[in-house]
Amino acid sequence: MTPAERERAYRALSLARALDERMWRLARAGRAHFAVPCSGHEAIGAGYALAMRAGLDWLSPHYRDLTALLVLGMPPRDVMLHFFSRPSDPNAAGRQPYAHFGSRRLHVLSQQGPQPNHCSHGVGCAWGSKLLADGSASVIAFGDGGAQKGEVHESMNIAAVHKLPVVFVVHRNGWTQSVKRENEYATDSLVARAAGYGMPGIAVDGTDVEAMFAAAGSALERARSGGGPTLIDAQCVRFLPNTSNDDDTRYRDRTALEAEFAVRDPLLRARSLVSAAFADAVDAENAGLAQDAADWAEAQPHGDPLTVAEHAYA
Amino acid sequence: MRELSVLEAVREALFEEMARDPRVLLLGEDVATLGGVFRASEGLLERFGPERVIDMPMAETGIAGVAVGLAMRGLRPVAEIQFADFIHAAMDHLVGEAAKMRWRTAGDWTCPLVIRTAYGGGFRGGPYHSQSVEAFYAHAPGIKVVAPSTPADAKGLLLAAIRDPDPVLVLEHKRTYRLIRGPVPEGDVVVPIGSAAIARPGNDITVLSYGMMLHESLAAANAVAAEGIDVEVVDLRTLLPLDRATILRSLAKTRRLCVVHEDTLTMGLGAELCALAAEAGVLEVPPVRVAMPDLPGIPVDDALEDAVLPNRATIRAALIRLAAATPSGSVQRRAYDASIPQASSVVEIALPPEHTRTALGAVVAACRAVPVCNAAFAWSGIVQHPEVVVDCDFGPAAPARGGGTITLIDYGPDGADLAIPFVRPGQTTALRIGAVRDGRAFVACSVDHRAVDGADVGRFLAAFTAAIETVRAPETVHAG
Repeated sequence: MTPAERERAYRALSLARALDERMWRLARAGRAHFAVPCSGHEAIGAGYALAMRAGLDWLSPHYRDLTALLVLGMPPRDVMLHFFSRPSDPNAAGRQPYAHFGSRRLHVLSQQGPQPNHCSHGVGCAWGSKLLADGSASVIAFGDGGAQKGEVHESMNIAAVHKLPVVFVVHRNGWTQSVKRENEYATDSLVARAAGYGMPGIAVDGTDVEAMFAAAGSALERARSGGGPTLIDAQCVRFLPNTSNDDDTRYRDRTALEAEFAVRDPLLRARSLVSAAFADAVDAENAGLAQDAADWAEAQPHGDPLTVAEHAYA
Repeated sequence: MRELSVLEAVREALFEEMARDPRVLLLGEDVATLGGVFRASEGLLERFGPERVIDMPMAETGIAGVAVGLAMRGLRPVAEIQFADFIHAAMDHLVGEAAKMRWRTAGDWTCPLVIRTAYGGGFRGGPYHSQSVEAFYAHAPGIKVVAPSTPADAKGLLLAAIRDPDPVLVLEHKRTYRLIRGPVPEGDVVVPIGSAAIARPGNDITVLSYGMMLHESLAAANAVAAEGIDVEVVDLRTLLPLDRATILRSLAKTRRLCVVHEDTLTMGLGAELCALAAEAGVLEVPPVRVAMPDLPGIPVDDALEDAVLPNRATIRAALIRLAAATPSGSVQRRAYDASIPQASSVVEIALPPEHTRTALGAVVAACRAVPVCNAAFAWSGIVQHPEVVVDCDFGPAAPARGGGTITLIDYGPDGADLAIPFVRPGQTTALRIGAVRDGRAFVACSVDHRAVDGADVGRFLAAFTAAIETVRAPETVHAG
């Protein structure tokens, strides 16, 4: 990473953390319906999004990929409009709760509830790139829980058969809400699965934004050059409960988790990539941006019931 | 106009639309090299190449999901699910994703995909190659569901589906593929989605159907025409959204509804169509549904499959039942009538051996008292004869001449004590006097129960018995 890229990465990680913390508090205070924290996952989205060409490449993000949305150009106020589920939210128009990202302008495919149905959508999108020969590539990110679904198998197989320009990124935090890794899959890592589809697999520390950027960069290069898909297994720590509706003290030891997070917090690790003065200034700026975005978005009007049937059909 | 089969019409639509629009591509199992298991895409690979005609892995979830992604990118994927029985693995992408895409993003993203699939039974395919799945998908706002039954509609609706800006499920009944041939206009003739067609005009009953059952319904309608029942058959063509205007216009005319579908009964499309008619308040009698019984699957054995699928005979029976139904609003409830002697069509009365003129006079009197026994049944209503003309059947030597309005049978002392008389055409009632024994005889009465109910029989026999006491000359008699 160049010094400028490191600063961009830190700026995104810091802003995501500021927004994440504010959303968590607001949801817990009952001011919004639903929060999906990304703390611990920020380096994955930041790493691959920095390796993408914004406005050209396409993204089917994981629901903890707020940093990717920020890197690709989503303003904090739009994030908060989505969080407060207002009709002016460009992601989901007040019709889907938070973390169902989507923006045609930013080339982010509309996301859904059932995980990870966006895998095959992303493969279809990548197939479109190949058919239209526009040079674009796609990133599809999902969790290690979602990776246990047939959807992912069918998607990776089809992408490999047709050498589609796509990078699969699995956020491997070891938890599927409350279900631990041992009950989800029998291997320590998921990277070996890539070989089963005839595609390369890269195991990466998903809390290291530089490592993630490098892995995504090489995989995207392979995709663009016609080499076909790659699977990136990005291991990370989910620091907070699954969502604002979850209580993780019922299934995991917070003390051990906090000890692990002290050394694997992607934001703390990224601080070492920039000067302390830069980091402090950015953190302060982002705290203000997050507060402004939340205050502004919360003040935006709710929907007009007369519009609820609009856009059911063309 | 030239004639094509449904299959040839589907193939022609695919050819023409792929030639017209380079965004259109075909993907599915066996669609390329084999040309589809039904040959719907035969020749397309050679004409348009492997980039646009794609043999997919056996992965219905992936096929549908990839089609969603292609459509989101602005391409026009036409995905084939080989048998509708396999489509449930794709349901999440169709109902959960494609149907919601435009709505959940307020139009930022759209999903103009087409899924074609072959459905329906009647060819010994068993439970996994025969199902009708329309009710699941017609319950999903955001998609459109079409079910053509003629070659012209198979082509015209597929063209419309591919050009539609929203996701469309095209249900092709596999028995129509080769069995149904018909005229197909040359060129770019699109059949608009959401428009039903009057397949056969009529005035007495509206049949709503689609797919193979449309053709069975037409056969049944032609069969009952000979019995004076004039059936209008509406080809729904689009199942979501329904063409409510055409449906209600037909029902406003006929006021009687029969829905025919091959899908199972409960929660099937018939339920919605009956609700639509009931809510509009257009029916004069309760609607009738002809559908497959609520079974988990269609059996493969010839006799068993034939037993569960609706056909022209079961539809014909339903139409006759529906034509005969009495409007519930016109039923007249009466209090218990003590003058009716007994709930029977046979009475025993005192009668002298020579009683012909007495009996004829009593028949006329009874007809005056109960006019429905001197009447004729017609599907359009019961016609009461203005005069009483008694057809007398006095035995083989003096049979009835016919042409009367009621029949009296009396074989005299050589006849049986009790026998059942037969009602003649154009009449509702026949009366038979048995042989007189010791001054008494049984009198039996038969009626056409479509016109005369049991209480009327009792009243008629009571009036006859009372009149026997008084000798009166008949007004008109055809003496044998």
